[in-house]
Amino acid sequence: MSDRISRREFLKLLGAGSAATAVLTGCGPASRYVVRKPYVSMPEYSYNGESTYFATTCRECPAGCGLVVRTMQGRAIKVEGNKNNPVNLGKTCARGQATLQGLYNPDRVQHPVKQGRGVTLSDQRMTWDSAVNVVADALRSTSASKVAFLLGLAPDHLFDLVSDLAKALGARPPIRFGALSMFEARASLRKATSQVFGREAMLYFDLAGAEVVFSFGANFLETWLSPVAYTRGFAEMRRGKAGRRGYLVQFEPRMSQTAATADEWIPIAPGTEGLVALALGRLIAEARGERVPAAYRDVDVEALAQMADVPVKKLEHLAQLFASVERSLAIPGGAALAQSNGVSAGEAILALNILADNLGKEGGVFFAPQAPLGAHHAPASPSEMLEFIQAMRNGEIEVLFVHGVNPLFELPQGLGFAEALQQVPLVISFASFPDETALQSDYIFPDHTGLESWGYQRVLTGTGKKVLSGMQPVVVPYYDTRSTVDVFLAAVKQVGGRVAEALPFADEVEYLQSRLLDLVKAEGGFFQAPEINTFFAQFQQYGGWWTREDALDAPSGSKVLDKPLKVDKPAYYGEGEFVLYPFVSPVLGEAGANKPWLQETPDPTTTVMWGTWVEMNPRTAEELGIQDDDVVQVTSIFGTIEAPVYRYPAIRPDVIAIPFGQGHVAYGRYAQGRGANPADLLGVTFNPAGDLTFAALKVRVEKTGKRRQLSRLEGRLGVYGFEK
Amino acid sequence: MSEYKVPEYSANWSEVEQGKWGIVVDQDLCTGCQACVVACAMENNISFVGEEDAGYGRSMHWIRIERFWEGEYPDITMTPFQPVMCQQCGHAPCEPVCPVFATVHSDAEQLNVQVYNRCIGTRYCANNCPYQVRTFNWRDWERPEPLDNQLNPDVTVRRRGVIEKCTFCVQRIRRAEEVAESEGREVYDGEIEPACAQACPADAIVFGRIDDPESRVSRMARDGRGVKLLEDLGTLPRVVYLKGGAGHGYSG
Repeated sequence: MSDRISRREFLKLLGAGSAATAVLTGCGPASRYVVRKPYVSMPEYSYNGESTYFATTCRECPAGCGLVVRTMQGRAIKVEGNKNNPVNLGKTCARGQATLQGLYNPDRVQHPVKQGRGVTLSDQRMTWDSAVNVVADALRSTSASKVAFLLGLAPDHLFDLVSDLAKALGARPPIRFGALSMFEARASLRKATSQVFGREAMLYFDLAGAEVVFSFGANFLETWLSPVAYTRGFAEMRRGKAGRRGYLVQFEPRMSQTAATADEWIPIAPGTEGLVALALGRLIAEARGERVPAAYRDVDVEALAQMADVPVKKLEHLAQLFASVERSLAIPGGAALAQSNGVSAGEAILALNILADNLGKEGGVFFAPQAPLGAHHAPASPSEMLEFIQAMRNGEIEVLFVHGVNPLFELPQGLGFAEALQQVPLVISFASFPDETALQSDYIFPDHTGLESWGYQRVLTGTGKKVLSGMQPVVVPYYDTRSTVDVFLAAVKQVGGRVAEALPFADEVEYLQSRLLDLVKAEGGFFQAPEINTFFAQFQQYGGWWTREDALDAPSGSKVLDKPLKVDKPAYYGEGEFVLYPFVSPVLGEAGANKPWLQETPDPTTTVMWGTWVEMNPRTAEELGIQDDDVVQVTSIFGTIEAPVYRYPAIRPDVIAIPFGQGHVAYGRYAQGRGANPADLLGVTFNPAGDLTFAALKVRVEKTGKRRQLSRLEGRLGVYGFEK
Repeated sequence: MSEYKVPEYSANWSEVEQGKWGIVVDQDLCTGCQACVVACAMENNISFVGEEDAGYGRSMHWIRIERFWEGEYPDITMTPFQPVMCQQCGHAPCEPVCPVFATVHSDAEQLNVQVYNRCIGTRYCANNCPYQVRTFNWRDWERPEPLDNQLNPDVTVRRRGVIEKCTFCVQRIRRAEEVAESEGREVYDGEIEPACAQACPADAIVFGRIDDPESRVSRMARDGRGVKLLEDLGTLPRVVYLKGGAGHGYSG
């Protein structure tokens, strides 16, 4: 194929007919459709006792780490990191390691079913032909404005295809959402970034090159944005890449795993992160003996320190530290932004980087590189989800396609997704597992799991390079599942007309290759190929495409420090004596609960396995007469959950914390009926960026008189002596 | 009475020492993320036991991450995370107590090996291990289909009544040695990575030859922060921990 062909010409050619198809499939369909079968009929390339390794992309979170999966006789044996992929450089997290237990999970949706909105998985098996008919009928017979697509957080090829499809139909563009983006308060981060640095882009924090790092609730060693990449950065910082061993200070109401690893944990009152950043700003400028910038001239350090419940002396000491080194860095995390004052708090925290003069410098803040293959739009904020839910409730949506997200579990109950779903006449889920939303759908047309799929995924942050991580099946699909892209392509063919012309692809691989055409000619890639088939072969072999050089932009020095920065006092809402601090479980993430080995992996700080707990300061617990394992009822104005108490020595006395990740009422035997879901407590109050103010909710705690022993790795002797 | 003569027999299959393996764990880098714990389970076909048995302390982790609290709120700190696996002691307290020689010292790899088909489940070794790294199969743990598809064919599965523990991923050591031998060379430093070290996102776990002074582990172990767990028991552990929490500006 000529190397001068553009994507548009390619599409034209394809539309022209069989000649183009011959060009595309001419060079070795065999290499495209290698079948990886279990050992009962061993694939030809497989030798007894020898492993075959395939590069692909982890789908356990949207970070886009590269994997190399060891297979033997057609079965996936072990997940290892892809040493070439710039995001993770050969490393993986616990969730990535356990991805095989998703592939071989005993509770997968094994074939298409007519689900009919039940509480258990329906046994009404369908053929894929009839499934495609259902999708085609839905697309054909519904007016385009009433068709909606709800996708997960991964910025992948499915999102591109559905975007193209929605555009061709004239339907609303697909919405992406996930609990992680909600808990990371990404909309607020974006807004603060645009106000401070003048561009709505993802940021990249060069932890590795920093010497002193202030993290305001950013749990970057757990689930935040790209945990494996940031863990590597953290390790390099600690090793002293900048010359001396780096120092991490974590400001947050509850000691997270990241704070436990940090050198100092400063237990500030919830929602005062921005206020602390303001006070620190003034103290840092003073410590340097410079003129205090206008931004901090009206700052009353004493008053702010009192509100944040941290001694002024402590802040002075930290400011001295921050000011005394060349490379200091400040990072805003999710809970700091999920406040009524979240956006301005984000600005105040980011402004510390201007003060540190680290913009675009080693150990500083950068704009993350624009991912390959054009822009993608940001995930929906919770308030945008609420608008969407209202549209559902008002009957503006007649067909809803759901893929890669489980809103019945991930969204706060207060948003009313469950009721709104009842108003949608046709809900089609593409879930691989019988999760809550899938069971409440009319049909489940299961997609392959990540290790059985083709695809690509953009990498949003975590590396300085532009990365498109590649996916390929490492094993033949275990069950009678089908790629959602293929289902849509087949349905579109049936619908015909304009829509079919817009998506004239025989299958998923052809679609992928058409998208990758742009990269064949792109400059700066770490491999070059003259045409698409060679390119695609290398794309598969290396596990993606990325640039050889970093493509980081320096944020421009804005004038933020020239006018007073203002952060309001945090506005808690609800009633009760405690502020709730929900956090994403570091081990389970938002969707790991169906993997038994993740369930049995101890939480890093509490060592609890297989359950949900409520973290409470031991002294508060004593005042309330609560022991470990006493079940308490936590009540907000939106809902109630019950869970046993874990007396957590490193949490503020006025705060309780509950991990998110458990509390499923479906999702297979390992997840179902286990623990409680703190999202059931969350409500509908948003900050100006549209993020949920989930870290400002007050709750009541009452003893139930019941006890339930938490499974935990640590002994029950030791910290508090013998249990009474 | 004819004189009964015991036939003379001498075994001539003594193993040759091929390398002394060790691990260095930098606690200043460990973030407690549990990637090593899950990677170990996936590599070594370790069973999960379920909520109730896990609560009784019967979970089968070959590696666990310890942490302790110091002080009281608000002046509370957590000790640096400490991954603990079998320390492959040179003088292992588990070995002499086994009545059936199921836990023995391998001369070739200089490891403590557990011979599952000898083990009769007395659990004396677990009782005698000061590091509490031996786990016992209290049941035939359930592994419903098709989860068994991921079983690693290089590692045997264990059933009820036997003790198991970390092997330093001996299957990977053997494979690398065989590959090196077939290529007529020595195993190079860094060629072998146990599952825990391979996964570790912070690169806090490093594996290698401790009898080679120039290997990465040996160089790391010479860092002034190096300690061995319960060294005063004279167990000669093969795992070196580099103390964490060094403070700002520390340089080794």
